[in-house]
Amino acid sequence: MSEAEVYEKVVGVITPFAKNADALAAISRDTNILDDLEVNSARLVDIMLEFEDAFDIEVEDEAADNIATVGDAVQLIVQKTS
Amino acid sequence: MWDKAALETQRIVSYFLLIVFAPVIYALFYWRYQFSAHELSEVRRRYREIRQQHPGAMLLCTNHLTLIDSIVQGAILNSMGGYLMHVSALPWNLPEFKNFNHSFIWRLTCYLGRCIPVTRGASREESQRAQDKMRYVLERGDIISIFPEGKRSRSGRVDDNDYSYASGALLRMVPDATVLCVYLRGMKFGGFADWPNRSERFFVDLEVIKPKSALKGLRETRDLATQIVSQLKTMEDRFFASPLAAR
Repeated sequence: MSEAEVYEKVVGVITPFAKNADALAAISRDTNILDDLEVNSARLVDIMLEFEDAFDIEVEDEAADNIATVGDAVQLIVQKTS
Repeated sequence: MWDKAALETQRIVSYFLLIVFAPVIYALFYWRYQFSAHELSEVRRRYREIRQQHPGAMLLCTNHLTLIDSIVQGAILNSMGGYLMHVSALPWNLPEFKNFNHSFIWRLTCYLGRCIPVTRGASREESQRAQDKMRYVLERGDIISIFPEGKRSRSGRVDDNDYSYASGALLRMVPDATVLCVYLRGMKFGGFADWPNRSERFFVDLEVIKPKSALKGLRETRDLATQIVSQLKTMEDRFFASPLAAR
Protein backbone atom coordinates (compact mmCIF):
# COMPACT_ATOMS: atom_id res chain seq x y z
CA MET A 1 0.00 0.00 0.00
CA SER A 2 1.41 3.38 -0.95
CA GLU A 3 1.85 6.18 1.59
CA ALA A 4 -0.90 8.16 -0.13
CA GLU A 5 -3.28 5.21 0.19
CA VAL A 6 -2.37 4.83 3.87
CA TYR A 7 -3.03 8.54 4.40
CA GLU A 8 -6.47 8.31 2.78
CA LYS A 9 -7.38 5.28 4.86
CA VAL A 10 -6.08 6.92 8.07
CA VAL A 11 -8.24 9.99 7.41
CA GLY A 12 -11.19 7.68 6.80
CA VAL A 13 -10.66 5.99 10.16
CA ILE A 14 -10.25 9.26 12.05
CA THR A 15 -13.18 11.11 10.44
CA PRO A 16 -16.05 9.66 12.54
CA PHE A 17 -14.18 10.51 15.75
CA ALA A 18 -13.33 14.14 14.88
CA LYS A 19 -15.40 16.75 16.73
CA ASN A 20 -14.03 19.84 15.01
CA ALA A 21 -15.58 19.93 11.55
CA ASP A 22 -13.46 22.90 10.39
CA ALA A 23 -10.22 21.18 11.35
CA LEU A 24 -11.44 18.01 9.68
CA ALA A 25 -12.19 19.90 6.46
CA ALA A 26 -8.62 21.26 6.47
CA ILE A 27 -6.99 18.01 7.60
CA SER A 28 -3.36 17.44 6.68
CA ARG A 29 -0.42 15.40 7.93
CA ASP A 30 0.32 18.16 10.46
CA THR A 31 -3.15 18.07 12.00
CA ASN A 32 -2.97 17.19 15.68
CA ILE A 33 -5.54 14.50 16.40
CA LEU A 34 -6.21 15.50 20.02
CA ASP A 35 -5.88 19.27 19.86
CA ASP A 36 -7.05 20.17 16.36
CA LEU A 37 -9.66 17.49 15.75
CA GLU A 38 -10.74 17.56 19.42
CA VAL A 39 -10.62 13.82 19.77
CA ASN A 40 -10.36 12.80 23.44
CA SER A 41 -7.75 10.34 24.69
CA ALA A 42 -10.17 7.41 24.98
CA ARG A 43 -11.33 7.89 21.41
CA LEU A 44 -7.68 8.08 20.36
CA VAL A 45 -7.30 4.58 21.78
CA ASP A 46 -10.36 3.55 19.72
CA ILE A 47 -8.69 5.05 16.64
CA MET A 48 -5.51 3.04 17.30
CA LEU A 49 -7.56 -0.13 17.59
CA GLU A 50 -9.33 0.70 14.34
CA PHE A 51 -5.90 1.14 12.74
CA GLU A 52 -4.98 -2.33 13.99
CA ASP A 53 -8.05 -3.81 12.31
CA ALA A 54 -7.87 -1.75 9.15
CA PHE A 55 -4.17 -2.37 8.48
CA ASP A 56 -3.77 -5.74 10.24
CA ILE A 57 -1.03 -4.42 12.50
CA GLU A 58 -0.42 -4.23 16.24
CA VAL A 59 0.03 -0.82 17.84
CA GLU A 60 1.99 -1.11 21.07
CA ASP A 61 1.25 1.25 23.97
CA GLU A 62 4.48 3.17 23.49
CA ALA A 63 3.92 3.61 19.77
CA ALA A 64 0.39 4.84 20.45
CA ASP A 65 1.73 7.37 22.95
CA ASN A 66 3.98 8.79 20.25
CA ILE A 67 1.18 9.49 17.80
CA ALA A 68 0.14 13.12 17.94
CA THR A 69 -0.53 14.06 14.33
CA VAL A 70 -2.10 12.40 11.32
CA GLY A 71 1.41 12.26 9.82
CA ASP A 72 2.70 10.36 12.88
CA ALA A 73 -0.01 7.76 12.38
CA VAL A 74 0.73 7.44 8.66
CA GLN A 75 4.45 7.07 9.35
CA LEU A 76 3.89 4.36 11.96
CA ILE A 77 1.53 2.40 9.73
CA VAL A 78 3.83 2.64 6.71
CA GLN A 79 6.70 1.33 8.88
CA LYS A 80 4.61 -1.56 10.15
CA THR A 81 3.16 -2.57 6.80
CA SER A 82 6.29 -2.28 4.69
CA MET B 1 13.63 9.73 42.87
CA TRP B 2 12.70 13.37 43.52
CA ASP B 3 9.12 12.63 42.57
CA LYS B 4 8.97 9.81 45.11
CA ALA B 5 10.42 12.05 47.83
CA ALA B 6 7.92 14.75 46.91
CA LEU B 7 5.04 12.26 47.06
CA GLU B 8 6.17 10.99 50.45
CA THR B 9 6.38 14.57 51.72
CA GLN B 10 2.93 15.35 50.33
CA ARG B 11 1.57 12.16 51.92
CA ILE B 12 2.88 13.06 55.37
CA VAL B 13 2.04 16.78 55.19
CA SER B 14 -1.53 16.03 54.06
CA TYR B 15 -1.91 13.53 56.90
CA PHE B 16 -0.80 15.94 59.62
CA LEU B 17 -2.75 18.89 58.25
CA LEU B 18 -5.80 16.67 58.12
CA ILE B 19 -5.97 17.22 61.86
CA VAL B 20 -6.64 20.89 61.10
CA PHE B 21 -8.73 20.61 57.94
CA ALA B 22 -10.79 17.47 58.53
CA PRO B 23 -12.93 19.05 61.28
CA VAL B 24 -13.61 22.00 58.97
CA ILE B 25 -14.65 19.71 56.10
CA TYR B 26 -16.86 17.55 58.29
CA ALA B 27 -18.40 20.65 59.90
CA LEU B 28 -19.19 22.09 56.46
CA PHE B 29 -20.55 18.74 55.30
CA TYR B 30 -22.88 18.02 58.21
CA TRP B 31 -23.73 21.45 59.63
CA ARG B 32 -23.20 24.15 57.04
CA TYR B 33 -24.65 22.17 54.11
CA GLN B 34 -26.59 19.68 56.22
CA PHE B 35 -25.60 16.79 54.02
CA SER B 36 -26.33 13.29 55.24
CA ALA B 37 -25.96 9.75 53.96
CA HIS B 38 -28.37 6.86 53.76
CA GLU B 39 -27.32 4.08 56.17
CA LEU B 40 -24.09 5.91 56.95
CA SER B 41 -22.85 3.55 59.65
CA GLU B 42 -23.54 0.50 57.47
CA VAL B 43 -21.70 2.06 54.52
CA ARG B 44 -18.71 2.84 56.73
CA ARG B 45 -18.78 -0.64 58.23
CA ARG B 46 -18.76 -2.21 54.75
CA TYR B 47 -15.95 0.08 53.62
CA ARG B 48 -13.86 -0.83 56.71
CA GLU B 49 -14.57 -4.50 56.08
CA ILE B 50 -13.55 -4.21 52.42
CA ARG B 51 -10.31 -2.46 53.37
CA GLN B 52 -9.54 -5.19 55.89
CA GLN B 53 -10.27 -7.91 53.34
CA HIS B 54 -8.34 -6.14 50.58
CA PRO B 55 -5.42 -4.29 52.12
CA GLY B 56 -2.96 -2.65 49.78
CA ALA B 57 -3.44 -0.99 46.42
CA MET B 58 -6.99 0.03 45.70
CA LEU B 59 -8.78 1.91 42.96
CA LEU B 60 -11.90 3.69 44.18
CA CYS B 61 -13.95 3.94 41.00
CA THR B 62 -16.87 6.32 41.40
CA ASN B 63 -19.55 7.73 39.11
CA HIS B 64 -19.23 11.48 38.67
CA LEU B 65 -22.03 14.04 38.99
CA THR B 66 -20.88 17.08 41.00
CA LEU B 67 -17.68 19.06 41.45
CA ILE B 68 -17.27 17.87 45.04
CA ASP B 69 -17.90 14.14 44.60
CA SER B 70 -14.41 13.32 45.96
CA ILE B 71 -15.07 15.28 49.15
CA VAL B 72 -18.58 13.88 49.58
CA GLN B 73 -17.34 10.36 49.04
CA GLY B 74 -14.48 10.91 51.47
CA ALA B 75 -16.73 12.29 54.20
CA ILE B 76 -19.14 9.39 53.85
CA LEU B 77 -16.79 6.42 53.53
CA ASN B 78 -14.71 7.17 56.57
CA SER B 79 -15.00 9.07 59.81
CA MET B 80 -12.54 11.76 60.81
CA GLY B 81 -11.01 9.33 63.28
CA GLY B 82 -10.74 6.68 60.57
CA TYR B 83 -8.61 8.99 58.47
CA LEU B 84 -6.47 10.05 61.39
CA MET B 85 -5.81 6.47 62.47
CA HIS B 86 -4.38 5.37 59.11
CA VAL B 87 -2.05 7.53 57.06
CA SER B 88 -2.99 5.55 53.95
CA ALA B 89 -6.75 6.03 54.42
CA LEU B 90 -6.94 9.32 52.53
CA PRO B 91 -7.16 8.49 48.81
CA TRP B 92 -5.05 10.14 46.13
CA ASN B 93 -7.01 12.04 43.51
CA LEU B 94 -6.24 12.70 39.84
CA PRO B 95 -7.58 16.16 38.93
CA GLU B 96 -7.02 17.83 35.57
CA PHE B 97 -4.17 20.32 36.05
CA LYS B 98 -5.92 23.23 34.33
CA ASN B 99 -8.97 22.88 36.60
CA PHE B 100 -7.09 23.97 39.72
CA ASN B 101 -3.89 25.61 38.58
CA HIS B 102 -5.48 29.06 38.27
CA SER B 103 -5.41 29.86 41.98
CA PHE B 104 -3.03 29.37 44.87
CA ILE B 105 -5.86 28.27 47.18
CA TRP B 106 -6.92 25.51 44.80
CA ARG B 107 -3.30 24.42 44.28
CA LEU B 108 -2.88 24.23 48.06
CA THR B 109 -6.18 22.37 48.45
CA CYS B 110 -5.10 19.87 45.82
CA TYR B 111 -1.72 19.39 47.47
CA LEU B 112 -3.26 18.79 50.88
CA GLY B 113 -5.99 16.66 49.33
CA ARG B 114 -3.33 14.32 47.92
CA CYS B 115 -3.76 15.11 44.29
CA ILE B 116 -1.58 13.93 41.43
CA PRO B 117 -2.33 16.38 38.63
CA VAL B 118 -2.94 15.01 35.16
CA THR B 119 -2.95 16.92 31.90
CA ARG B 120 -5.12 15.92 28.97
CA GLY B 121 -3.05 15.65 25.81
CA ALA B 122 0.19 15.84 27.79
CA SER B 123 3.51 15.00 26.19
CA ARG B 124 4.65 11.41 26.46
CA GLU B 125 7.23 12.41 29.12
CA GLU B 126 4.69 14.30 31.22
CA SER B 127 2.18 11.52 30.93
CA GLN B 128 4.78 8.90 31.86
CA ARG B 129 5.83 10.94 34.88
CA ALA B 130 2.25 11.17 36.14
CA GLN B 131 1.76 7.43 35.56
CA ASP B 132 4.95 6.65 37.48
CA LYS B 133 3.60 8.64 40.44
CA MET B 134 0.30 6.74 40.32
CA ARG B 135 2.10 3.42 40.13
CA TYR B 136 4.30 4.42 43.06
CA VAL B 137 1.45 5.32 45.40
CA LEU B 138 -0.51 2.21 44.46
CA GLU B 139 2.46 -0.10 44.87
CA ARG B 140 3.10 1.30 48.34
CA GLY B 141 -0.46 0.27 49.23
CA ASP B 142 -2.35 3.55 48.95
CA ILE B 143 -5.75 4.23 47.42
CA ILE B 144 -6.38 6.17 44.21
CA SER B 145 -9.81 7.66 43.65
CA ILE B 146 -10.75 7.90 40.00
CA PHE B 147 -13.87 8.74 38.04
CA PRO B 148 -13.93 6.06 35.34
CA GLU B 149 -16.28 8.07 33.11
CA GLY B 150 -13.50 10.69 32.88
CA LYS B 151 -15.96 13.56 33.25
CA ARG B 152 -19.17 14.49 34.98
CA SER B 153 -22.15 12.88 33.32
CA ARG B 154 -24.34 15.60 31.83
CA SER B 155 -27.27 13.19 31.55
CA GLY B 156 -27.14 12.49 35.28
CA ARG B 157 -26.71 8.79 34.55
CA VAL B 158 -23.55 6.71 34.24
CA ASP B 159 -22.26 7.35 30.73
CA ASP B 160 -21.42 3.90 29.38
CA ASN B 161 -21.13 5.15 25.80
CA ASP B 162 -18.43 7.81 25.94
CA TYR B 163 -16.06 7.17 28.82
CA SER B 164 -12.36 7.36 29.57
CA TYR B 165 -10.08 4.33 29.52
CA ALA B 166 -7.83 5.71 32.27
CA SER B 167 -9.17 3.29 34.89
CA GLY B 168 -8.21 0.39 32.62
CA ALA B 169 -4.75 1.83 32.06
CA LEU B 170 -4.25 2.23 35.82
CA LEU B 171 -5.36 -1.31 36.46
CA ARG B 172 -2.97 -2.61 33.82
CA MET B 173 -0.15 -0.78 35.63
CA VAL B 174 -1.01 -2.42 38.96
CA PRO B 175 -3.03 -5.55 38.08
CA ASP B 176 -3.29 -6.72 41.69
CA ALA B 177 -5.03 -3.55 42.80
CA THR B 178 -8.49 -4.05 44.25
CA VAL B 179 -11.20 -2.25 42.31
CA LEU B 180 -13.90 -0.86 44.57
CA CYS B 181 -16.79 0.55 42.56
CA VAL B 182 -18.67 3.28 44.38
CA TYR B 183 -22.08 4.43 43.24
CA LEU B 184 -22.81 7.84 44.77
CA ARG B 185 -25.96 9.86 44.21
CA GLY B 186 -28.03 12.47 45.94
CA MET B 187 -31.37 10.92 46.83
CA LYS B 188 -33.35 14.18 47.03
CA PHE B 189 -32.07 16.08 44.02
CA GLY B 190 -29.41 13.84 42.46
CA GLY B 191 -28.24 14.26 38.89
CA PHE B 192 -25.67 16.51 37.28
CA ALA B 193 -24.86 19.72 39.17
CA ASP B 194 -21.85 21.81 40.09
CA TRP B 195 -22.76 21.58 43.76
CA PRO B 196 -25.19 19.30 45.59
CA ASN B 197 -28.25 21.03 47.04
CA ARG B 198 -28.27 21.94 50.69
CA SER B 199 -29.57 19.11 52.92
CA GLU B 200 -28.93 16.54 50.21
CA ARG B 201 -29.02 12.94 51.40
CA PHE B 202 -26.57 10.69 49.61
CA PHE B 203 -26.98 7.09 48.62
CA VAL B 204 -23.76 5.05 48.47
CA ASP B 205 -23.34 1.53 47.19
CA LEU B 206 -20.04 -0.37 47.26
CA GLU B 207 -18.97 -3.35 45.18
CA VAL B 208 -15.56 -4.97 44.85
CA ILE B 209 -14.86 -6.36 41.40
CA LYS B 210 -11.89 -8.14 39.85
CA PRO B 211 -11.79 -7.09 36.22
CA LYS B 212 -9.85 -9.56 34.06
CA SER B 213 -9.19 -9.58 30.36
CA ALA B 214 -7.79 -12.12 27.96
CA LEU B 215 -6.98 -9.30 25.56
CA LYS B 216 -3.61 -7.58 25.31
CA GLY B 217 -2.34 -4.03 24.94
CA LEU B 218 -4.78 -1.22 24.26
CA ARG B 219 -7.66 -3.69 23.87
CA GLU B 220 -7.03 -4.89 27.41
CA THR B 221 -7.05 -1.27 28.64
CA ARG B 222 -10.41 -0.69 26.97
CA ASP B 223 -11.84 -3.99 28.17
CA LEU B 224 -10.89 -3.36 31.81
CA ALA B 225 -12.28 0.18 31.74
CA THR B 226 -15.48 -1.11 30.15
CA GLN B 227 -15.94 -3.70 32.90
CA ILE B 228 -15.57 -1.00 35.56
CA VAL B 229 -18.02 1.40 33.91
CA SER B 230 -20.46 -1.47 33.29
CA GLN B 231 -20.36 -2.31 36.98
CA LEU B 232 -21.19 1.29 37.87
CA LYS B 233 -24.08 1.15 35.40
CA THR B 234 -25.33 -2.06 37.02
CA MET B 235 -25.18 -0.41 40.43
CA GLU B 236 -27.08 2.58 39.08
CA ASP B 237 -29.76 0.32 37.58
CA ARG B 238 -30.04 -1.41 40.93
CA PHE B 239 -30.52 1.94 42.66
CA PHE B 240 -33.24 3.08 40.27
CA ALA B 241 -35.02 -0.27 40.58
CA SER B 242 -35.12 0.12 44.36
CA PRO B 243 -37.78 1.94 46.39
CA LEU B 244 -35.06 4.41 47.47
CA ALA B 245 -35.04 6.04 44.03
CA ALA B 246 -38.73 6.86 44.29
CA ARG B 247 -38.34 8.81 47.52
